[in-house]
Formats: sequence, C-alpha cells, structure tokens
Amino acid sequence: MIPFHIRNTVDRLDRPSSYAASKYKKRKRDDGETDANRAPSPTLSEKLSDATTLYVGNLSFYTTEEQIYTLFSLISPPRRVVMGLDRYQKTPCGFCFVEFYTHDDALQCLKYIGGTKLDERIIRTDLDEGFVEGRQYGRGKSGGQVRDEYRDEFDPGRGGYGKAVKEGYGEEYR
Amino acid sequence: MADVDRYEPRGDRGHRGGYGGKKRRLREDDDSYDRRDRPQRRRYEEPTGTRLRKQLLAIAESPLRNAEDEALNIAKITAENWDDQYIKDTFCEISILLVLEQPFKIPFVAACVLHANTQNSEITTEILARAGAKAQGFLETGGWKEVKLLLRFFACLHSLFEDAGVFPILDELFNRAVDLQTASSEDTLGLELVKIILFTIPYIMATSTSESEQQKAAQLLNKTDIVASTPHMLDALVDPYINNEEEENRPMGFQTILTLLQKQLQTEAANEWKLACIPRPYSAVVTSGSDENGDAPTPAKHPFPSITVPTTVKLGPKALFPEIYFSLYADQDIESVPPTSNIAASLIRDTLVDTMNHLDFNRNAVAKFLIEMDCYWAPDTFVKRATPFDKLRAVPENKSTWKPEDLAVDAVFSQLLQLPTPEHKLVYYHSVITESCKIAPAAIAPSLGRAIRFLFRNVDAMDMELFYRFMEWFAHHLSNFEFRWKWTEWLDELDQSDLNPKKAFIIGALDIEIRLSFAKRIRETLPVQYAPLIPEGRDKDTPDFKYADDSTPYAEEGREILALLKKKASEDEIQTVMDKISAKAAEHNVQDVLVPCTDAYMTSVCYIGAKSISHVLSCIDRCKERLLAIGPQSEPARRQIISSVVDYWRDQPGVAVNIVDKLLNYTIITPVSVIEWALTDRLDRGRALARSQTYELVATTMAKVMNRVRQIVD
Repeated sequence: MIPFHIRNTVDRLDRPSSYAASKYKKRKRDDGETDANRAPSPTLSEKLSDATTLYVGNLSFYTTEEQIYTLFSLISPPRRVVMGLDRYQKTPCGFCFVEFYTHDDALQCLKYIGGTKLDERIIRTDLDEGFVEGRQYGRGKSGGQVRDEYRDEFDPGRGGYGKAVKEGYGEEYR
Repeated sequence: MADVDRYEPRGDRGHRGGYGGKKRRLREDDDSYDRRDRPQRRRYEEPTGTRLRKQLLAIAESPLRNAEDEALNIAKITAENWDDQYIKDTFCEISILLVLEQPFKIPFVAACVLHANTQNSEITTEILARAGAKAQGFLETGGWKEVKLLLRFFACLHSLFEDAGVFPILDELFNRAVDLQTASSEDTLGLELVKIILFTIPYIMATSTSESEQQKAAQLLNKTDIVASTPHMLDALVDPYINNEEEENRPMGFQTILTLLQKQLQTEAANEWKLACIPRPYSAVVTSGSDENGDAPTPAKHPFPSITVPTTVKLGPKALFPEIYFSLYADQDIESVPPTSNIAASLIRDTLVDTMNHLDFNRNAVAKFLIEMDCYWAPDTFVKRATPFDKLRAVPENKSTWKPEDLAVDAVFSQLLQLPTPEHKLVYYHSVITESCKIAPAAIAPSLGRAIRFLFRNVDAMDMELFYRFMEWFAHHLSNFEFRWKWTEWLDELDQSDLNPKKAFIIGALDIEIRLSFAKRIRETLPVQYAPLIPEGRDKDTPDFKYADDSTPYAEEGREILALLKKKASEDEIQTVMDKISAKAAEHNVQDVLVPCTDAYMTSVCYIGAKSISHVLSCIDRCKERLLAIGPQSEPARRQIISSVVDYWRDQPGVAVNIVDKLLNYTIITPVSVIEWALTDRLDRGRALARSQTYELVATTMAKVMNRVRQIVD
C-alpha cells in the first residue's frame, strides 16, 4: 500500500521536465510500457539537483546575448551565456545556455522567467546538466535545431519554414 | 525530442517544462501522457482517496458550487472511510497543507472539520493533534507566518473547543511581545507577535461570539493597544514616499498594518463583531446544535491541543521590519477597495500576500487565485468581476463597490514596492502581474492602468529605490505585451528637463525596453514626439572607436594599441606604445600618465569585444594581467578603466553596466572605485543622479558586496 504523500497543494514549476531526460531515452516501439510521467532516472536527478545551467529554447535567430543578459539578470547576473549555433553557418539558431553561479538562481528562472517573453517570443527554460564544448551546435541535419528541420509552420524569427519542408522533400517525412 | 512541441503554457494546468502544444507528427513523443497509461475500461471510477484529494484541494474554487455543500460532502467521504489510513492521511495532510499554502481556504477547511466532527469526533481529535504538533514545531523554529495561519485555523474551529481555545496562547504570545519590546526599542519580533494576535481575533469572533469570548477579546485588545499604536523607530525606513510633506499632501497615507488592524478591531468590537467579509460555510453546525429530527447529539467538544510557547522566542529565518499598509487605491473618492477604516482591507490583503509569497513556485496558480478571490470571502463582498471603474458610481447605495482586480493589483504592488525588500525576487512579482494579465486581460488591464498612472503621477515623491523598481517593472512588463502603452498621455513630460523625475522615468524605462529589444523596434511603438529620446547612436551595434579620429588626443597611439591587441602581440610591444603615450602626456603636464595609457588600452579592449559580452569577456581575459596591474599602481587609472567602458558604450548604458559587473568579478576594479567613480568623479553637479545608469552601477555593486558578505557569514 503506497503511503500518502504530497509535497505541495499545487504543481511546482521548478522541477526538471522531459528535456534533460530525453537524450537518455532509447527510441521506443509500441510497447505501452513508457511512462512519461515517471521522474527522471536517479543519476540524472542527482546531476540536475545542483544544476546551475539552463537550456533556453524558442529564441528568435536574431535574439542577442545582450537581450538574454538583460532578461536573466532580473534573477541574477549570469556567469556566462553560450549561444546555440548552426553547426555549419556558426550563426545563432534559436537556443542558448545560461549558466548561473547558484542552483537556486537556475530554479528561480524556471519559476519566474520560463514561459514569459524574450524578444517578444515565449521562451522555454529547462535545467541542463552543464555546457560542454560541442553542445552549442544544433543537431539537425541542416545544421540548426532538429525542431526546425520538419516544422511546417511559418516562423519568421526562425528562418521561415522548416528546412526539410523548404527544400521540398517534405512529403516523404509527413 | 526536446523542443519539438510549440511551447504553450496553459494557466489552469500550471506549466511544466514546455510540452502541451499540438502534436504534428505521428511519431511517438516521449512526453505523451494521456493516451498510453490510462486503463481502457469504459467507466473509470476514481478510488476514494483520489476523489477526496481532488475535492479537498479544490474546495470553494468554483463559484457555481456551494462551498458549504462541498465541505459537507468532503466530511461525509472522510467519515465513512475513516478506517482507511490512506484516507486519514489524505484528509489531515492536505487540510494542514492548505492552511499553510492557501490561507484563503482556511474557513472552508475548518468547515470540513466542523462537519466531520458531527459524524465522527475522532477525525477532529486526529487533525487537532497533527495541527497542534505542527504549530509547536513552528513556534520553536520561529516560523511566525505558519504560526499565524495555524492559529487562524484553530480560531475558525473555536466552537468545538471545550476550554478557552486559542486565547491562552494569544496571552502567552503577548507576554513574550512585552518582554521583547521592553528589552529593546528596535525590537520587531514583538510587533510580529502582536500582529499574529490581532489577525487571529477576528476569526475567533466570526465563529462564535459568546460573552466570555467577547470579554477575552476586549481584554486582549486593551493590552495590545500600546504596542500597536506606538510608532516604531524603523517606520521611516519602510516609508515608500519621502516624508517631508504634510500629512494631507502625501500621495498615500502612512499607517502600519499593526496600527490599522488595532483600530479596525476596536471598530468591529464596537459593532458587535459583524465582520461582514469573513465567510461562514459552517452555519449548519454552529448555529443549530442538532439536525431536523432534534435528536442528534450536539457536536463533540475537544480540548485545545497542548501547545506551549517557548520561553525565548526565535526571530526565525528572516529579519522582520514594520510593515506599512500600501495601497494605490484606498481612501480615494471612489471606494474601489476597502477603506483603511474597514477590517476587510487588512484581512483580505493579509491572505492575498501570504498566498502570493507561499506559492511562488507556481505563479499561474497564484494569478488564478488572485483573479478568483471573490470565491473565498462572504458573498457580495465584492462587485462583479471586471466591472468597469466608471460603472462603480452607478452601484446602489448599500452594495459593495470593491473591485477584486483592484485588490489584486494593490496586493502585488504592495510587495513589489515593499521596503526594505519583499520576500522574493522582484521579477517574481513581475511574473504574477504578467500571468494575471494573460488569463484575465479585460479585468486586470484597466486596474493596472490606473495603478501605473497613480505611481507615475507621484513618482517625484517616491523613494529612489522604489522609483527604479517601478521603472524596471514597467519596461519588463511592456516587453511581454508588445510594448503597448498610451504614450500620448505623457507627451507633456517630454518638454521637461532630463532632470525632472517624470522625464527621467520615461528615459530610463525606454532604455530598459531597448535592452530587452532593439532601438528600431521601440521607436516603432512610440509617437513621433518621442524620437529625440532614442537618438540614432542607439542603432549602432558597434560604437565608433574614438582613436580613429585624429582630433582625439593620442589617436595614433590608440590605433597602434588596437592593432597590437588584435594580432595578439607581445606585452613588450604594447609597453613600447604605452611609454610613448606616457611621454606625450608628461610633455603636456598630465598629472597621472597612466590614465591616458589606460584609456587607450581599455577603449581598444571594448572595441575588439564590441560584438557581444562573450567577446569582450574573452578579450578581458587575455588582457587581465595588465588590467589587474593598473589598480594597485594608480587609483585614478583604475577609475579610468570604468570611464573608458562607460564612455565607449555611452549610447548603450546597459552594456557598460554589464561589463563593469564582469570587471568587478575579475577584481580589476573594486567596489569602492565604482562608487567613487559614480558619485564623485562623474556626479556632474548632481546631474548624474537623474541617470538610471548611475543608480544601476551603485545598486548592483552594493548588491554584489552584500551577497559576498552573506556567503561568508552563512
């Protein structure tokens, strides 16, 4: 019999989401075994429990470091900001890492900044294990982020249509 | 994949890290949470524990359901399943958690207990024991907010105590308060204890007004009068408006929460404790002792849990200060919020602030509770949601004209503009206002507009730090809403000198807007008359290098330094040019030759790193040996480093502030040098004080120093 346990009367915004766990999940088949609501694995939880880095997504390609600094300084001046770059063009491709001095600062961003606007776009913030050289590049086939490969909505701040759609080999991928 | 879904927060669910958008691909997503793990049974009956949990958590939330019926239902489920340990825990733990996290639900949670008591008195025994233990714990650690709320819970349960209930504890707390106050005139903990007493009394008197209780309340009020009505030496510290005006000319009255509450309670006592705003969802239990048949036993009475107030009371985790009652709308012609003479002002504000500060981990829930506050007070306490301000005049004589939106905005600003500091980071309160505007724009926006106009009108009398908080909030807020504002309203201010507070406010706010966006965009959002406030220089990504112009002193040497730095030349080569500058300077009788050398060097560093903060950081890192050597040699030269940065970035004051912050981290400059630079070197006969950059440099430097000290002390 599971004992009753409740931490708070409403959900908390300062918990890690699927973002950090996603790279550890293997590609699944149709087995119904996946429990998306299960907490991240213990080692990942440990790593994130003192994470000071945030992944910030849904930026416009034109958002500058200074804008990022200004917004996140409302919590605390970041130690550094690493812009996410297109692997080939080496230009910003719509995400960044913001590293703070304390774990608490990072959690406060999740609570107070994530989901508000930067450069007039709603941004997404997530706890990240920490920046490592190489992680600043997009992992999509064309060099940007994966989400921009197949996107079929027009997004003027992120290069318009998804790369695959633009190039015209969209049909096979639908 | 991490970022596949479009990010769309939904207010009522409380956003998690970013999924919830439409699924565009058939490929399975890691985060699908609805389709896979629900059982496929057709009629899915929730287990009792889940039902109880959901109903209890959501008590009183719907204006369509009667809160007392909800309480009755919850009591029934609990009583019928009391043998189940899970049910026991669910009921007790959630009840207590609600008391501590959602204080506006305390009367309703108490109602559940009161109703449950008629069916099974063991329930009451259990929950009183658990709540008592919790209260004891908080008394010992100095968790005074929690003590206040738990005592309020007991106060709402007063009708079922066989003894004097909460009163003995209140008396004990008063004794401690007297001891503390007599020991020191700076004491604030004693005030906090008296505040707890005063906030508990109305909830007792709303439940039951027997002779003995009225007497005890009157006695207490007599005793607390002295403490509550005496001004405190720290009062001036927390005054949001500079106190050199006559009382009548102040934009906002100055009364501490404690003084107000004392007066309001005395008024209520004289009016038979009407306490109109407090909800009473337990009438069936309290007013009639038996049910329709007339043969049900009167509800069981219980002894008050044994709680002892420690002989020495601890301050608790945070420093305490006197609190003033801050209101943008109170005591004006139209009564859109309770007047300060009415106890509703204090009671409602207290719960709104507590909720906001306890639930900071979910601003969406907070915004929802703020918008829906009318569910948690007596019916007709407020006027209908989103009633336009103008329509308030048309409300009939004996009906309320209190707008819940005004109370919500008032409460948030009372925290945002609280001195010395609010409980959480300022940006939290920004985000509460943003979320409220998102979920109920038509309701909140007009109230917010009036708040902004009030604050702007009185901006010249405001405490300086609050001036900047207001400015920063305003710019950040607009950045979430396409920078929309009726700028035409403030056209008159543009003719004023830049030293005029209102003009300085506009300039500062636009500067922050530009930092969050870019100059061209902000110009688009403004009437043409504002164009002079955003000169073309702000469009430039890379400001000009002054040494490119031959009329600048040391132009040639400056260009040489730049070239050497770009090709990462040796220190010797750089030193050669530095010596040239020193010689030239000496010829012209410059007092400290290191100053122009530093200027050339630092300006070059700025120019090389102009592309972004990362660029300038990497350049500073490469040059840090030389830069670190400057300060010890010459203080004026150290301050020149700051000058070079600020002058190079004169059109982008925010960038300069960021770079100065980084230079402090490297200890290339010292906190003292920043302060002296800002307030002595560059004071410009006081003009600098009108520039927000001056304030920012001083404030962020001070904050950094305080943080370091705190880290060392902890």
